[in-house]
Amino acid sequence: MKAIRFSFFQMVVTMGRDMMLFMACLAPILAGFFFRFAIPVLETVLTQSFHIPAVISPYYKLIDIFFAMLSSTMFCFVSAMVALEESDEKTAVYLFITPLRKTGYLSARFGVPAVIAFLVTLVLLPAFKLTPLSPAAIFLFAAGGTLQGMIVALLVLTVSSNRLEGMAVTKLSTLTVFGAVVPFFIKDKVQYGVFLLPSFWIGKAACENGLFYMLPAFALSVMWISFLLKRYMCKM
Amino acid sequence: MIQVNDLSFSYTKSPFISGMNFSVSEGEIFGFLGPSGAGKSTLQKILIGMLRTYQGSAMVNGVECKKRTKHFYENIGVDFEFSTMYEKLTARENLQFFSSLYEKKPRPIDELLERVGLEQDADKRVADYSKGMKSRLNFIKALLHDPLLLCLDEPTSGLDPTNSHMMKNMILEEKAKGKTILLTTHNMQDATELCDRVAFIVGGKICALDSPHNLIMSKGAATVTYTWFENGEHSASCPLGRVSSDEQLKGLIAENRLQSIHSSEPTLNDIFMDVTGRTLV
Repeated sequence: MKAIRFSFFQMVVTMGRDMMLFMACLAPILAGFFFRFAIPVLETVLTQSFHIPAVISPYYKLIDIFFAMLSSTMFCFVSAMVALEESDEKTAVYLFITPLRKTGYLSARFGVPAVIAFLVTLVLLPAFKLTPLSPAAIFLFAAGGTLQGMIVALLVLTVSSNRLEGMAVTKLSTLTVFGAVVPFFIKDKVQYGVFLLPSFWIGKAACENGLFYMLPAFALSVMWISFLLKRYMCKM
Repeated sequence: MIQVNDLSFSYTKSPFISGMNFSVSEGEIFGFLGPSGAGKSTLQKILIGMLRTYQGSAMVNGVECKKRTKHFYENIGVDFEFSTMYEKLTARENLQFFSSLYEKKPRPIDELLERVGLEQDADKRVADYSKGMKSRLNFIKALLHDPLLLCLDEPTSGLDPTNSHMMKNMILEEKAKGKTILLTTHNMQDATELCDRVAFIVGGKICALDSPHNLIMSKGAATVTYTWFENGEHSASCPLGRVSSDEQLKGLIAENRLQSIHSSEPTLNDIFMDVTGRTLV
């Protein structure tokens, strides 16, 4: 535990010294303020301008689950960037042959940040949500968002070989989050074309008020994470 | 300290290391010599628990390498040929972080930095270090937790003669403290100076294993080559052990007509080429 703790603190130090990573950690809070306070104002302006009852408000649930996934994804993105830098500098290889080992390294770089991302989402989501969400919904969406964040981080690490590539791959891999949009806009069975994306099921759970849809989201997330983790371990 | 029995390993379907057997005693400096791609680094990776899909047995400090736990690494220090430091951190911050990963009380960081002449640069970012400075820093990082086994990969690579000499002295000091040292190198001079025994590795197999002295002696005695002038320059050679029976040499010495005389001892490199038919490139 000591090695994991110090290795995690080391990551925090690296984040603190890198303005881009530091801002990425603050992004969920900034986005939260925007979602919570700017979007309702924007909705009022739009409805008054176009003389229609609703423009954005039917999608407030979608914004809430996006926010749940955003905060986790940002924390996991930061971890992935630090891990890529450690891979570039070959410090990761060295850490594997200290008492930290590979398992401790993965815990320090993905396990602990994921737990923190989950806890932060549990705090931020009730503060910035636009729709009434039950405690169970908040808990499940935060958990689903955290798993989605881990998938994005592992995709970045598995596909890219340095930090620069990592930034490019991040943009592509965050597209997996957009599976959540599908149930809101495609109502027929075509929507199941993206059934392999856990975010689709999170979106479905929010859209149809059916938290049981979170089960396939969790199951698929676990499958994605195990697959990507194996690839990452082989790569390292 | 190390016991390797019938060790085989493969990255693909064809064997990369096969049927390897050797042991290394406590307090011994053991050298792995061989050309690039011979299997030295792979062997080192197996011994430090990085590659675990090997066949046979590789025991380090009583632990089978593929079954290593975190305690296994409390007593292993590795100095890779490449830098394994956080470039954005200072040397001191790097050493403080890496020492924090071990349960053991670390050796004093300032003392180690001073020992390798980096005390003035301790608070400089590693990114601003030269290659030689990074090599020295890498080396002391391996010593931080006072391990029983040190694995050194080309420790003098990129060092000037003064720092190379200093590094070799430090390695010998660690040996004097009873540490076991595995040295992987291309440098025959380093191997001859430092190693108690060396193993020549080619094609994933050990071709020869003995002390540098015994290996050199196995080639035969040194030869003496002398020159003299008699209607032009002439030269002749004879084995060192037979100089007293070389009548020509005796006559030239008696008549004080020798122009030059020198002995040439075989080097470890000669032995390596003899045994393996290859050079260390």
